[in-house]
Amino acid sequence: MSARILVVEDDERIRSSMRLALEGEGYDVDEAESGEDALDHFSAQSSDVALIDLMLPGMDGFECCRALRRQSAVPIIIVTARTDTHDVVAGLEAGADDYVTKPFVAKELGARIRALLRRARPAEDEPKVLTFGDLELLPDQGVLRRRDGEEIHCTRTEFRLLCELAANPNKVLSREQLLDRVWGYDYFGDGRLVDVHIRRLRTKVEPDPALPRHILTVRGMGYKLVP
Amino acid sequence: MSTNGSADDRGGRRRHIGRPGWGRLSQRPGLRARVTLMFGLGALVLSVAMGSLAYFTARHYLLSDQENAAKKVAFQSARYVQGALPGNADITGLLESLDAGAGVASHSVLYHNGGWYSSVTSVSQQALSPALKGLVRSGTPATQNFTLNGAPQIAVGVPIPSVKADYFEIFNVSDLAHTLRVLALTLFGAGLITTALGYALGRSASGRSLRPLNSVSRAAMAIAGGNLRTRLPAASDDPDLAGLTLSFNRMVDQLQERIERETRFTSDVSHELRSPLTTLSASVEVLESHRDELSTRDRRALDLLAADLRRFQRMVDELLEISRSDTGSAELWLEDVDADELVRRAVAVSVANLRRPEEAQADGVPTIDVDAVAGVRLRVDKRRFERIMANLLENAYNYGGGATRVTAEPGPVRHGQPTVRVSVEDHGPGLAPGERAKVFERFYRGQAAGRRGTGTGTGLGLALVAEHVRLNGGKVWAEAGDEGGARFVVELPVTTDSEGPRLDEWEPV
Repeated sequence: MSARILVVEDDERIRSSMRLALEGEGYDVDEAESGEDALDHFSAQSSDVALIDLMLPGMDGFECCRALRRQSAVPIIIVTARTDTHDVVAGLEAGADDYVTKPFVAKELGARIRALLRRARPAEDEPKVLTFGDLELLPDQGVLRRRDGEEIHCTRTEFRLLCELAANPNKVLSREQLLDRVWGYDYFGDGRLVDVHIRRLRTKVEPDPALPRHILTVRGMGYKLVP
Repeated sequence: MSTNGSADDRGGRRRHIGRPGWGRLSQRPGLRARVTLMFGLGALVLSVAMGSLAYFTARHYLLSDQENAAKKVAFQSARYVQGALPGNADITGLLESLDAGAGVASHSVLYHNGGWYSSVTSVSQQALSPALKGLVRSGTPATQNFTLNGAPQIAVGVPIPSVKADYFEIFNVSDLAHTLRVLALTLFGAGLITTALGYALGRSASGRSLRPLNSVSRAAMAIAGGNLRTRLPAASDDPDLAGLTLSFNRMVDQLQERIERETRFTSDVSHELRSPLTTLSASVEVLESHRDELSTRDRRALDLLAADLRRFQRMVDELLEISRSDTGSAELWLEDVDADELVRRAVAVSVANLRRPEEAQADGVPTIDVDAVAGVRLRVDKRRFERIMANLLENAYNYGGGATRVTAEPGPVRHGQPTVRVSVEDHGPGLAPGERAKVFERFYRGQAAGRRGTGTGTGLGLALVAEHVRLNGGKVWAEAGDEGGARFVVELPVTTDSEGPRLDEWEPV
């Protein structure tokens, strides 16, 4: 079964061309012309990936992203005509997993979607349960919970990032390594993706996100997880 | 010819405008020095004038006072001589007694009956001038100033006709001369102090009055450096400066508004172009995926469309990038990276992007020699560095028959900071010395010898290289390569402090 992609874009011609290109890449495509439309559509028919343009009439892309994130962990790629730090970071902080800038190459977009749809790499020697602090990660079930059984919701990308860190406790992983393993980017990928996701993860797993105890920054090197 | 003429005219006018202002300023002392000098000179002239006036007034007064006193004493002595002389045989004794009784340092000389007598042997009638003697002989009292044994003297001559004698009294006035010398020294000292004070006052006053000018100059420098938010603080209490501040700030406001409007326009245009470009590129990609099903003619048309679409897209991206650099809104995303890995990766990515499938075998991949900088850390914006390499390699590909070698090696130490030099060499015809700086100008089209195809570049590639290198704190230039081609050299500073940039604590703008 091919993955369903929800394209949220107000420009009809762009929407149509995206549909053609994504269908050419082998995906099923649903279209929404506004944020409200997208939310309606999503409650009726869930998608595997949502592509959200940031400049939408009415509810803007950021708000749409947040609203969608409240009800689902679906991977979200924001589509922006601007590469300014502000838009990209605000979009990622609103819950997006990745971003592409207009005009994008359809093949590249296809690759991004495939990377997001990939499951966490189940390494052969990887234990069934990864633990740190009072948290448990079940990589093959995609579950993050506290020892007392309370489940913590996180997106698929956040989960995979946490798995990479938890599978290599006390080892520094560089931004490039994390970009490669989680997002499938090469050496020149955007390090802000990692940084914003680390921030988001900290608010979920750290008792005090401002003074992290588990997910630590190693200055000039990368990140490491201390159990 | 006409273009040459107009260029000369422009140059001439510029020089003409420049000359009265900055041209001359560089040759003569600065405003502050001149004001200071003027204050110093003024104080000097004033103190010389006042000092001289004081000195000569005091001198005149003291001298006439002294002369009057001397005359008074001499007349008294003469009266005594008039009474005591007749019948007195010991004239010298009489004169000695006069010296002792006068109460001042004086000596007496008397002419009587064709003979000269004096109270002391050291002072004789020879010291008296013939003019004085003549005047007194003719019956007129007179005075004479002279110097005796280095000491200033006043001689007062009084005729005493009743006893047929001429009486002269010689006063030592070295006390007065000493007083005048002390006075002159004091006035000279006061003059010196006044001049120094005037100089200091001029310096401080000019410094103070130039302070607004200095702050204007600093603000102008900051604005020229790209910080358009710079304003002068409002000088509310000073009506003279308020005008300057107000007009300066208003000028910068307008400048900023204008620049922002223009940049916003460039940026808006670039953004607006992105929507149709998205549709175009997505649609062309759909067509390209069915390339094999098209006829040769259609395929050729599609290739043309696709190639120019990519170029168009690049141009929009690069215009946007350049407009960001122009307004100083370019964001730098610094990371500490290994120089050798960075160069190797950047070349690999760029070469892969450069080659279209149909050109895969067209040129050899450049040899990469980066071992000399293994482990050297650079603090750079990786994305920008990748663009630098991509554009240099593309430039070599378009104009230099392809890059032959990419080298990274330690560069010279600049301002105490070691550097790394990355160079890209091609085997094209090379660049004429006059062209080497010009190639970094926007939309510069050079001799274009050995150029591949027409209109392959965007005209902004090397200009952006210069911008990216500048933002990364480095330098870039073109020179002659070892094998006759061109060599582009990028020099970047090496990270020397152990503190790396913080990873996740940057502030989004």
